[in-house]
Amino acid sequence: MNIKTQILVAVIVLLAMAALVNMIRKNKLELKYCLLWFLSGVAILVFDCFPWLTTKLASVMGIGQPINLLFFAGFCFSLLIIFSLTAAVSRFSVKIKKLTQEIALLEKKIEGMEGTKASDENEK
Amino acid sequence: MKKLIIIPAYNESANIEKTVRRIKERAPEFDYVIINDCSTDRTLQICRENGFHVINLPQNLGIGGAVQTGYLYGYRNGYDMAVQVDGDGQHDPAFLDEMAKYMIKEDLDMVIGSRFIEKKGFQSSGIRRIGIRYFTFLIKILTGKTITDPTSGLRLVDRKVMELFSEQYPKDYPEPESVVAVIRRKMKVGEIPVIMHEREGGVSSISAKKSVYYMIKVSLAILIERIRR
Repeated sequence: MNIKTQILVAVIVLLAMAALVNMIRKNKLELKYCLLWFLSGVAILVFDCFPWLTTKLASVMGIGQPINLLFFAGFCFSLLIIFSLTAAVSRFSVKIKKLTQEIALLEKKIEGMEGTKASDENEK
Repeated sequence: MKKLIIIPAYNESANIEKTVRRIKERAPEFDYVIINDCSTDRTLQICRENGFHVINLPQNLGIGGAVQTGYLYGYRNGYDMAVQVDGDGQHDPAFLDEMAKYMIKEDLDMVIGSRFIEKKGFQSSGIRRIGIRYFTFLIKILTGKTITDPTSGLRLVDRKVMELFSEQYPKDYPEPESVVAVIRRKMKVGEIPVIMHEREGGVSSISAKKSVYYMIKVSLAILIERIRR
């Protein structure tokens, strides 16, 4: 890898991470769900600054082309992030269901109370 | 003894009046509550105009979430029994009393109204019957119990099952899976023959396209339910 591309990649990653921090600062993103993105940014930076790491790691894992290691690692990481979203969506759907049910039951209860109140007033 | 009928209703404006009227006629000893699952038609207005007991879900939860709301309501309001009666006219409330008596007599936790014991009334289409028989077979292998109509929505449950269902109930196509959940907890399930009618309006939630999804989802759900701790 050329030093120019290395600098370019580093700049892009740093800009992206700055954007991420900025969005968290403005409460547009939840830090909890951004940790994986931070982690991936840091990993890219590390491999960008030390290209020999990729070569070394690829030969250790028996992968011929270092670039294939990068593709593979990137793919796995994307899957991880997408899966964490599936897990989050499942959790939320349960929470929303419970809230919906509680609201509906509360509404029913209030209606009942208003009903008895009205009939009390009628008796007066 | 307090007994509750749960009527899940999604866009049932064509049938809901008739369903409630029939319940008042043929099962007067039961209370009823309609769960309006955020219908987009006039279901809610019709209920309000007629002064029906209705719980109105502010968001659409699907059949599972709607029926579960009914179980929650029944459990919290001290009902001893709860039964699901669909709002589309398929279930005849005349059988409810018999189901309740059978539950007490046999000391059961759940009584299913089955179309296939006496094979009378609306029997569903051929291809659906094959699907239903497959579920009967699957449940038999996994639990050792024979449930002739595992997809029947007409099911009477006691407080124990109500508590279980208000904690966990599948989101969509809940019937076969939840029967397995009940059997697995060593609760007793029985069936009595009933006659079901063809739906009187609206469309089934299981279209041809969805039936593939239905078979796969429910099969997996039953298997997973079996290995839950």
